[in-house]
Amino acid sequence: MSLFDWCQWLQHTRFATTITESDWLFPLIEGSHILTLPISVGMILIADLRLLGLAFCSETTGRIVPSFLRLSRIGFPIMFLTGGLLFVTQAGKAYANPFFRTKMIFLLLAAINAAVYQKLFFPKMADWDSGRGAPPGAKFCAVFSLALWVGVIVCGRTMAYQF
Amino acid sequence: MSLLALLQTVSSWAPIVFIRDSKYGMPAVQSFHLLGLTMLLATVVALNLRLVRLALSDYGLSRVAGQLKPWTLGAIILVISSGLLIFLATPRKYVDSHPFRLKMLLLCGALFFHFAVLRRFTAADSVAPPRPVGFLVACLSLTLWFGVGWAGRAIAFIP
Repeated sequence: MSLFDWCQWLQHTRFATTITESDWLFPLIEGSHILTLPISVGMILIADLRLLGLAFCSETTGRIVPSFLRLSRIGFPIMFLTGGLLFVTQAGKAYANPFFRTKMIFLLLAAINAAVYQKLFFPKMADWDSGRGAPPGAKFCAVFSLALWVGVIVCGRTMAYQF
Repeated sequence: MSLLALLQTVSSWAPIVFIRDSKYGMPAVQSFHLLGLTMLLATVVALNLRLVRLALSDYGLSRVAGQLKPWTLGAIILVISSGLLIFLATPRKYVDSHPFRLKMLLLCGALFFHFAVLRRFTAADSVAPPRPVGFLVACLSLTLWFGVGWAGRAIAFIP
């Protein structure tokens, strides 16, 4: 069974068709996916802006950035759950959609970027505040993160036009 | 000139036609709308959580409000200008839509509440409200703003 066959099968399971055929389930899941953006991606964006010195400059990086990252942990489980459900209902159509594929690549890169940041910079954040702020490497991660998340939103919105 | 005729004139203006008819015009404007929503509601959520001390409680309320303010205002400008373009490009989708009317009503309510009520509690010289009042204000603010979002989503599903 190829990946495409599997996507087709997934989209036609009883579980998927129940969501698709319901008058309110699909709108509810899709609406939740979109309206959780601020509590997940939005908080990451604010943290990135702080790292770049564009927001919350009066507060120390080492304390304010983790505060926003903590807030984003409320939203991401909801994002993955609702996003997973949306994929199940449209798996066959999403498979070949170039914007869906790009979105998945961006998500993967964002995850790698976050892991690199966590490993290299997170433990040292408390030391930055006496000096000039975040080192260039951390700022690079922030720019990369901003670009990737904007890309995820753009691809997510655009893929719906191709269904 | 009636409002409908005026709308038709504006929606046949070249830049608007370009957005409507080019392949990626509408997705691009919709993406800006969604980016604005993300930033706007993120700042609103952060401010309200600080108001009720559920997040960022190490920082002064008026300081958090002051730092978030330019991003909230920028996001409001982005959502309203992109929203206006979406409306002008496809006015027929919206003029008779009930969820759209509700969305506009909630938007006015949310903006009024944000600038007339919430800002009063978060301004530099204000005293922090008693906890129950803070909770009520935060609930109303979040209900109004997320109500705008849900009504917006409903346009696609309910006539």
